[in-house]
Amino acid sequence: MSLGLLLGLLAWGTFVGLDLVSVPQMMIARPLVAGPIAGAMLGDVWTGLSLGVLFELFQYEVLPVGAARYPEYGPATVAAVSVAHAAAGTLGLGLGALVGLISGMAGGVSLHAVRRLNARAVRRATAALEAGDARVLLRLHTKAILRDAVRAALVTALGLGLALLARTYLAGTISVRGVILLDVAAVGAALAVGTAGTLRLVGRGPDLRWFAAGVVSGAAAVWLR
Amino acid sequence: MAAMTAARRARPAFGRSLLRLFTVQGSWNYERMQGVGMGVAEEPLLRDLRVAGDGAVYRGAVARGAHFFNAHPYLCGLAVGAAARAEHEGVPPEQVERLRTALCGPLGSLGDRLVWAGWLPFTSGLALIGVALGLGLSAVLGFLVLFNAGHVALRWWALRAGWTHGMRVAVALRQPLLQRATAVSGPAMAFVVGAALPLVAHYLSNGFVGWSRVALAGVAAGGFAVLWWLRARLSGVRLGLALLALATLAGWLWP
Repeated sequence: MSLGLLLGLLAWGTFVGLDLVSVPQMMIARPLVAGPIAGAMLGDVWTGLSLGVLFELFQYEVLPVGAARYPEYGPATVAAVSVAHAAAGTLGLGLGALVGLISGMAGGVSLHAVRRLNARAVRRATAALEAGDARVLLRLHTKAILRDAVRAALVTALGLGLALLARTYLAGTISVRGVILLDVAAVGAALAVGTAGTLRLVGRGPDLRWFAAGVVSGAAAVWLR
Repeated sequence: MAAMTAARRARPAFGRSLLRLFTVQGSWNYERMQGVGMGVAEEPLLRDLRVAGDGAVYRGAVARGAHFFNAHPYLCGLAVGAAARAEHEGVPPEQVERLRTALCGPLGSLGDRLVWAGWLPFTSGLALIGVALGLGLSAVLGFLVLFNAGHVALRWWALRAGWTHGMRVAVALRQPLLQRATAVSGPAMAFVVGAALPLVAHYLSNGFVGWSRVALAGVAAGGFAVLWWLRARLSGVRLGLALLALATLAGWLWP
């Protein structure tokens, strides 16, 4: 992978990470968007779409309410696509999921750290904020966004670094059966998490019937195809 | 009359306030949560208060605007508009604070139901169906356009409604269209995501043959059961990593 491409992926992962909470929250951070674009950058849209779909299922578990802590799957999907593309073929999904899930956890931890740093900055500026100093307010806000951009860049860099390690040390050492087992684990986990996450949103009320009707319709569509 | 004049003068700042609302969570923190971002978004609407009271009215309003706030980010504009309007109308500071506090819960709950548990999974589910049916990048682009049409419209409506109603902003939350959208979004999301799951399962398992298909069904069903059973303690990411670790171990033991 060329340095230019690596920097391109780093820039894309940073933008994706910034979209999650800070700006503009237009769902560019969704794996279904982050993955295919990363795939297109690598000339492999199919891998990007597959991992985008896989991590989108994991994303269904996340409800970003209040101070809830959750993994960050956007930059993680970018890293996952980069390792899956290089690994090629069926090895991609399992290895991509491994790198992506570790990066996703790291992303979640980094969000918490940035929120604590923001709180410290707010505490330091309390007197100026209480005096209604608009310049301090704006500076505080801008610095916090820059802090989040640096965080997103670091998380993406970590993910791309893990991808490089996985490509170098893991890709050639796994047997064919091992590759299939990894893929089974990745796809099985994604389907389990996506279903459980959706059912939590749906609840036990009347929406459950709509969910069941949807599953039957989807299954019929699969059968007809 | 004074309030109407102020309202007319503040109108041009709506665009700037809306743009800043897109960054409302940029300085999210455990002290004031969205407070600082709210203050930043409200500030353009307060600028024509700078002339009053030698700037003291403006500075007081800016300080209040940056106090603790937490709600759904797409609906923050409602509180921004309402608080700015109240400041222009000379509502006592403690009432403005009470208004902001009172709006946190309803705006959070409405936004969570309407967007996080409705519009977002609904549009994402449609995109998953599109990808599974072979639409590729068009499905992704369609998701971005459709989701953000609703997202931007909601942010714009919230800011305008907040400014229009001021202290009586609760009226805006009872709008029939909003009520209907909230009522419909749950069943629509449930149906679409329900339909997406079998299609996506088929799409992702295309490369699997023989025993691996049976194993996949077992892992998905078992994983779901474990997640459901241990839902207070086990997250999806941990389940995924545990299954991948088991698969790696099994791959070494059974090469």
